Amino acid sequence: MASIDVRSVGKRFGKVTALEDVSFSVDDGEFFCLLGPSGAGKTTTLKIVAGLVEPESGTVHIDGQDVRDVEPTHRDVAMCFENYALYPQLNVFDNLASPLRSPRMRMPDAEARQRIQHTAALLGIDHLLERSVTQLSNGQRQRVALGRVLVRPARAYLLDEPLAHLDAKLRATMRAELKSISGGDTTTTVYVTHDYVEALSLADRIGVIRDGRILQVGTPTEVWSAPANAFVAQAFGKPRINLVPGTFVASDGGRTFAAADDAFQIPIPAVLGDDTDVQLGVRPRDLRLHIGAGEVPDGQVRVDGSVYVAEHLGRHSEVTVQIGRSRLSVVVPRAEASRLSPDDKVGVLMNPRTVHVFAAGAEGKRVTP
Amino acid sequence: MTTMATTTDRATARRALATGTLANVALIAYFVFSLLPVVFILALSLKSDADQTTTYLWFKPTWDNYKTVLGSDGADTSYVRFFIASLVTSVGAVLVSLVIGIPAAYAAARYRFRGSDNLMFTLLSFRFAPELLVIIPLSVIYQQLGLYDTWVGMIWVLQLVTMPLVVWILRSFFQDFPAELEEAALLDGYSRTRAFMKHVLPLVRPGIAAVCLLAFIFAWNNFIFPFTLTSSNAQTVTVSSLAYLGGNQVRFNLVAAGAVMAALPPLVLALLIQRYLVRGLSFGAVKG
Repeated sequence: MASIDVRSVGKRFGKVTALEDVSFSVDDGEFFCLLGPSGAGKTTTLKIVAGLVEPESGTVHIDGQDVRDVEPTHRDVAMCFENYALYPQLNVFDNLASPLRSPRMRMPDAEARQRIQHTAALLGIDHLLERSVTQLSNGQRQRVALGRVLVRPARAYLLDEPLAHLDAKLRATMRAELKSISGGDTTTTVYVTHDYVEALSLADRIGVIRDGRILQVGTPTEVWSAPANAFVAQAFGKPRINLVPGTFVASDGGRTFAAADDAFQIPIPAVLGDDTDVQLGVRPRDLRLHIGAGEVPDGQVRVDGSVYVAEHLGRHSEVTVQIGRSRLSVVVPRAEASRLSPDDKVGVLMNPRTVHVFAAGAEGKRVTP
Repeated sequence: MTTMATTTDRATARRALATGTLANVALIAYFVFSLLPVVFILALSLKSDADQTTTYLWFKPTWDNYKTVLGSDGADTSYVRFFIASLVTSVGAVLVSLVIGIPAAYAAARYRFRGSDNLMFTLLSFRFAPELLVIIPLSVIYQQLGLYDTWVGMIWVLQLVTMPLVVWILRSFFQDFPAELEEAALLDGYSRTRAFMKHVLPLVRPGIAAVCLLAFIFAWNNFIFPFTLTSSNAQTVTVSSLAYLGGNQVRFNLVAAGAVMAALPPLVLALLIQRYLVRGLSFGAVKG
């Protein structure tokens, strides 16, 4: 177990900049998630920590030691590859035994066998041990790949999308399983994923990465409730956060956001900085529908629009409301949406305390506290 | 509905059968055609001196040519010596090429370094540059170094033939091979060398088998190097047949007998490694 410290790492592949000034640190025993879309540089970051890719600039410290000159073999980290990288000529057991039998570890046979049995049972692959890995389904291969990491003690686990190829049900089970494993013996883990649910549910802290840059590092609560910029806000939550472009107009006692098409205005209680070109971010679950001419609750703002489409998602429905030129997603209980049909006039209730305001642009900085 | 479906099925089946038969007939015809030279040489090797200039296949077969070539009738036994020289130099050339070529191909596939492309191209140029280009300086150099007419000299010069083959074909094998497997082995705690030996080499066995056979055939069939760089000790079967085409007599039947026997080692080798061969040739070689 060890801490990992990545300091302003940069990497280029030919003319493509893969990583740019990437810095984050993972505490001893922490579960750290790197979340980002494909091509963001997640795998490259992981391989740099493992020593498989050399960074052009910056350093990686494991346990306080600069590992620039430490070969991957001697870094004592275990990595689960996105494409599994199982040894095709070996069966499942021998694949799992590979790190234990290596010249580095040389674990006695009995102990190795016990560890393999334990790990295989944990991952539900104990009935496959004698099988050749070429005969396995992708989901099974992925579990073997994960097993080859979890079976061994290491200073750190590096997991590259270890649940990506499992079916939804198995993924949920494995997520819970991983959580309990990481809770039990706390091996420092860097976990790469593009699935925000995995990140939110597993991580102690999350680093959001885009185009080779870390946009925000924070706890799941922090990145959810105080996203550093518009991109991070969009990375979490489904349906995605609504973003409405607009400007600040001065008003007495603070500032007021006005949509670009003048469709609505909403007072913003507190603002940092003095950007005027901004966008309003509001999560679909923070919005309510207000149908008819009832009284608007205290402190809320009603915005009028019409139903564009209503989609039913089990217990809840996602209603898209057209307001001026913008469309806002609103998540409401199913019963409420079942009475709606397209072009119905509805009101949407916004709570000024739950909205975010970002500067304009895909990575516009957050200007609300 | 059912009857219609059955008739359509039957029609499809009939058409498939017809195409299959047609393809087979074409393939058999090609097979017979391509086998013709082989049959011709086989027949010639069994013909007596009187029949040797005829082309028909009806004659009284005789083993005399083989006996003469092998020297069992008390004549010259040099064919056996040449055969052994061929075996030693060809096998030696392939082994040396493998020992040096496998790591070279791996390095060329995995690492880009200054001049790596030029190096690979230079190596390839040995294949397409005519051997005649270098043969005169080479023979002078060999005479001065004392490598003329030695096994070592032959093995060395055959590297010009076998090394580019080994490096280029195996390089494309290694390039197709996912680097993640080696990376996983490194992180499992194996050194680079052990990761290579344990996890890469076993998986490129088909490629190595294919390249062995190809290199062996090229080395075995090479004519110009033994012709110019050997006289007796290291002379190979390809050159030795020339002895039967003398100034005062021409013995095509003896040449044929020698050729038939000389064709055996590559054939045996191909049969031995057949299992790997198809995969090997179709996987990496076509791209090399």
